[in-house]
Amino acid sequence: MIEEPYRWLEAIGNRREYVREQLKGGSPVFAASLPEGILLLGIGTGHSKVFELFDRHALAGLGHPADIEKIRQAAIDAAHLEAFNRAPEDVSLRRLVGFGLSPQLKTNFEQIFSAPFLVELLLAEVSVEPSQDLIARLHFDGAFQLHGKGVVVAASQPEPEAAAQKWLSQTLANNTNRSEVAEMLLQTWWCLTENKSFAEGLPSEAERRDGWRKAVNGRTVETCWLARKSARLTHYEELALTQLGL
Amino acid sequence: MTERAPIAGDFLSLLARHHAAPLGTVVAPDAPVQTQGTTVFAFHFADGILMGGDRRATAGNIIVTDRIDKVLELDATSLLAIAGVPATAFEMARVLQTSFEYYRRSQLQALSLPAKVRALARLLRENLPMTMQGVGVVMPLFAGVDQTVSPPQPQIYFYDPLGAQFHAVGYAASGSGSGTIRSVLSFQERYGRPRPGEMNLKQAVQFALRLLMTASEFDSATGGVNPDAHTFATVKVLRGSGIQTIDADQQAELLKP
Repeated sequence: MIEEPYRWLEAIGNRREYVREQLKGGSPVFAASLPEGILLLGIGTGHSKVFELFDRHALAGLGHPADIEKIRQAAIDAAHLEAFNRAPEDVSLRRLVGFGLSPQLKTNFEQIFSAPFLVELLLAEVSVEPSQDLIARLHFDGAFQLHGKGVVVAASQPEPEAAAQKWLSQTLANNTNRSEVAEMLLQTWWCLTENKSFAEGLPSEAERRDGWRKAVNGRTVETCWLARKSARLTHYEELALTQLGL
Repeated sequence: MTERAPIAGDFLSLLARHHAAPLGTVVAPDAPVQTQGTTVFAFHFADGILMGGDRRATAGNIIVTDRIDKVLELDATSLLAIAGVPATAFEMARVLQTSFEYYRRSQLQALSLPAKVRALARLLRENLPMTMQGVGVVMPLFAGVDQTVSPPQPQIYFYDPLGAQFHAVGYAASGSGSGTIRSVLSFQERYGRPRPGEMNLKQAVQFALRLLMTASEFDSATGGVNPDAHTFATVKVLRGSGIQTIDADQQAELLKP
């Protein structure tokens, strides 16, 4: 198969379809850069979706729990090794994703005789100034986009993800209230999981609000806050919905 | 018994001591003067544990700095107070900080208090060759929170240079000024009112600063507290819920008559 390039391309195509199929139904995760910090949010059923990576870094992901775990461990290992060998200030999301996780994911995806990673990920780094915040959207094939501000969505399918992100960016354009942003993220989560269109026929706000509250019954809403200013080395803080006034 | 002066630590110095140095060899006369950090202590008060230390580092009779922090936060519920050679002690703190946080993040649960206590003991044992050579001696204090009881209880541990760990019931002190501090703490514990264990935060901080002032009167290596020069101590409080730092401004306020 290796010596027949068109068969390799076909195999890669099949693999992409297979991963997308496996990821269908995955619960979306969100990250929002705000003046006081970065909010990450995910809704899980038994397995965690939001994790602390390092002092100023966090990860949120959907996909197979074992694959998320492998990526999480790799990121934690790399960050702590860098911090110990150099300094905690030298741990950067740009390098962690660009030189660490992305090449590994790409290599794994293109090795067609090994199982692919079934993951879609968001990684966030809080900085001293909001303009220096970084949110990385990392895909199962190693492709990634870096976002310096605003809201970033990771969902199982690209089209609804793009639509949700566009809608959220417009809706939250001037909103920096953490509780209101969390509320909108939960509404977006409900729309995505219910396959609602963001273009036309979007349910009313009351319907969306009611929808997510009913849908999270029996699930765990995980929210983490990467505080911009902290007296501690660790900026990561787990938040309960009640702390967000929800 | 007379103690032999430490040598520079290199092989040629060892040969020279035994009169076996090759002809023409220039041998370093003495061991390098080591920077030392003193004095640290911890005691239980009504709210939790107060851990404090002066801010002086010395090398022989030279004051290297009066701005060193000897009470270090290892994680959200662990404090390390260092006495001895800062070079070794800071590296130990860095190793512990990284390993505690790495464990918590990767395993999604905090390391237990006994494991933290032993981790420091292991580092001290690994430092044994340096200790036996007379360089790199560290005598730390450790404070952590026992999460197996409800409510969680802060505990103090002290060590010998070989890594033996001891649980301190009321208080512990280390470093060149520790003799004075232990004496005062013992006196206060037996005859004083309020006893350290009965003090509120304000009383405990005032007491801690006065302990250092007293120790500095008898030990030149202890920096003490000098409000006129705005030189204060490093003071941290460990409760079941976490760590609070009492900064210089708060200390200055508490020392006002």
